Amino acid sequence: MNRLMALVKREFWENKGAFRTTPLVIGGIYIVLCLMFIITFSHFDNEFQSLKELARFIAQQDVDLRSKIMYAITISIIPSLFTLVLAIVVFFYLLGSLFDDRKDRSILFWKSLPASDTLTMASKLLAAMVLAPVIFWIVYVLTHIVIMLIFSVVVLSLGENPWTLLLGLGNPFKGWSMVLLSYLAQSIWALPLYGWLMLVSSFAPRIPLLFAILPPVVIAVLQIWIEFLKTFTLKNNLFGVIGEWFANSPLIMSADDHGDEFAIALGIPLTDTFGHEVTVANMLDRLFSINMLIGLAVAAVFLGAALWLRRRATES
Amino acid sequence: MNYVIEAQGLTKRYKRTTAVDNIDLQIPSGRIVGLIGPNGAGKTTALKAILGLANYDGELSVLGKNPSKDRASLMEDVCFIADVAVLPRWIRVWQLIELTENIHPKFSREKCLKYLASTKITMNDKVKQLSKGMVVQLHLAIVMAIDVKLLVLDEPTLGLDILYRKQFYTNLLNDYFDEERTIIITTHQVEEVEHILSDLIFIQDGRIALDCSMEKVQESYAELVVTPDQAAAARELQPLYERELFGRYIFLYENADHEQLKALGELHTPSVADLFVATMSGGTS
Repeated sequence: MNRLMALVKREFWENKGAFRTTPLVIGGIYIVLCLMFIITFSHFDNEFQSLKELARFIAQQDVDLRSKIMYAITISIIPSLFTLVLAIVVFFYLLGSLFDDRKDRSILFWKSLPASDTLTMASKLLAAMVLAPVIFWIVYVLTHIVIMLIFSVVVLSLGENPWTLLLGLGNPFKGWSMVLLSYLAQSIWALPLYGWLMLVSSFAPRIPLLFAILPPVVIAVLQIWIEFLKTFTLKNNLFGVIGEWFANSPLIMSADDHGDEFAIALGIPLTDTFGHEVTVANMLDRLFSINMLIGLAVAAVFLGAALWLRRRATES
Repeated sequence: MNYVIEAQGLTKRYKRTTAVDNIDLQIPSGRIVGLIGPNGAGKTTALKAILGLANYDGELSVLGKNPSKDRASLMEDVCFIADVAVLPRWIRVWQLIELTENIHPKFSREKCLKYLASTKITMNDKVKQLSKGMVVQLHLAIVMAIDVKLLVLDEPTLGLDILYRKQFYTNLLNDYFDEERTIIITTHQVEEVEHILSDLIFIQDGRIALDCSMEKVQESYAELVVTPDQAAAARELQPLYERELFGRYIFLYENADHEQLKALGELHTPSVADLFVATMSGGTS
C-alpha cells in the first residue's frame, strides 16, 4: 500500500503541470472573467444601477426556478471547462504513461526498484481514474466558492441579501457531490478507453497518438464500407459503438429539454438505453449494466496486453 | 557453497541471432567480477537476464530467486546502474530520495545524504540540470545507501571524465564493498577496473571465453618479453599469443614453466587488456 501510494505520488510529481497547474489556471480564468464582468458593469454604470435592477429582478422570480438555475450553474456551467480539460489531460497522460520512460530509457531505473509492473500500472491507472479527477474537482469547488463570495459582496453592496439571492439556493453540496460522483463514475465507464490508451502507450514504438487513433478509424471506415457494399445501409459499426458509449457516459455533458422545461443531463440524451437525468441512480444504472460488463472485459484484455508488453519493454 | 548467481545453459535468442549461447556460470558472494567482452558479445543481454529484464532459456538463479518471475522481490536485494542517463530527467533530488525511501525497504536516507554532502548536488536540483558526472554521483549515492547483496554496474562510467571515473571506483571500494556483497561490472575501460577485480569473465559471441579469479590469472598466465634472437625459442614453448613492440617480441603463455621462460627474457604478469586481446583473437596479431 505504501509502495502504491509512493508510486501515485511519483505520477503527481511528474505531471504536476497537467494535474495541478492546469485546473488552477482554469479556476483563475473563471475568477478573472467574473471580475471583468463586474468591472465592466461598474465602468459603464457608476452606481451599479442596472446590476441593482438585475438583482431585484432575479429576487422577484420564483424560488424554485432560481434554485434550479443555481443548481444548473453549479453542476454544469462552472464544471464544464474543468470536465473538458480533465478529459484531455487524462487522455494524453495515459497515452504517455508507459511510453515516455521507454523513450528516455528511465524505465531501466524504474525497473531497478522493487515494484512490480502490475503495481506500477495500477499506480498510473489510479492517477488517471482518481487523482486527476479529484484534484480537478477540488479546484472546481474552490472556484465556485470564490465566485459565490465575489457575487455575495457585490449583492451586499447593492443592498440585497446574498443568502436569499445566491447562497441559500440550489444546494451546492448536492451539486458538488453529483459532479464528483459523475467524475468517478466516468472513470469506470471510460475504462475500455483507458485500457486502450495504456495498451498503445505500452506498444507504440513512436508517436502513440497516431497508434491510438488510426486503428479504430481504419476499422470503422472498413466496416462502414463493407456494410454499405452488402446492404446499402449504414448501421452498426465501431463509430456507432464509440458514439453510443460516449452518449451514454455518466459525465455531466449536456442539457435535456422536455417541452418548456430543461434539465442538465448525463451524457447526451440521444439514446434511451439509460436515463439521462443527473441522479446517482442513473449513474449506478450505467455502472451495473451489461454494456459496462462488456466494457470491463474489453478493458481487461487491453490492460492485460499492456502489462504483458510492459514486462518485455526492456528486452532489446 | 552458496552462489549469488548460478546459471546453467543460459541462452537468449533474438529473431536472427543468439546473443547468449548456453552459458554456465557460478558467482560466489564477496567477489568483484569483471564481465568483459567486445561490443555485441552478449554482456548486456546476460545482465538483463540476471536482472529479470529479459526472458531467457535455461536455468538461472539469482540469490535463490528466478529473476524472470520475481523481479520485484529480487530488486530488494539487487541494485543496478545501467549506464549514465537512466535517472528520470524530470525528478528532483529530494523526490528521488523520498521515492526510493518509500519503495526500497533497505534504503538509508542518512547514508544517502552523507554521500551527497561530499558532492555539489543540492536537494532541490532537477536531474536534467545536473552534469553527466553529477547524475552518476547521485545514482551512486542512492545505490550505496541501499543495503543489497548484489550490485550490477553496466558501463557505469561511460562518458565520464577521468576524475569522476577514479572517484567512482574509489567510493565503491572504500565505502561500499565488503565480504557480504558481490559486484558485477561490465566496462570497456578495462585498465581502470583491473586492480579492483577479484574475478574475470570474458564473453565472446555469447559464450564464455575465460572464467577465472585474478589470483589464478597471476599463477597461470605469464607475459614474456624477448629480443628477436630469442623469438624462435620462445615460439617453441607454444605461446597463446604473440606481438611485436619496438623491435621486441612479447609472448603470452598459459601454464608454462616460469623458470624456463625466465631464461629467455623478462617475465611479467599480463594486464587484463593484453589477456583479453590474446583470448579474443586466439593467435598472432
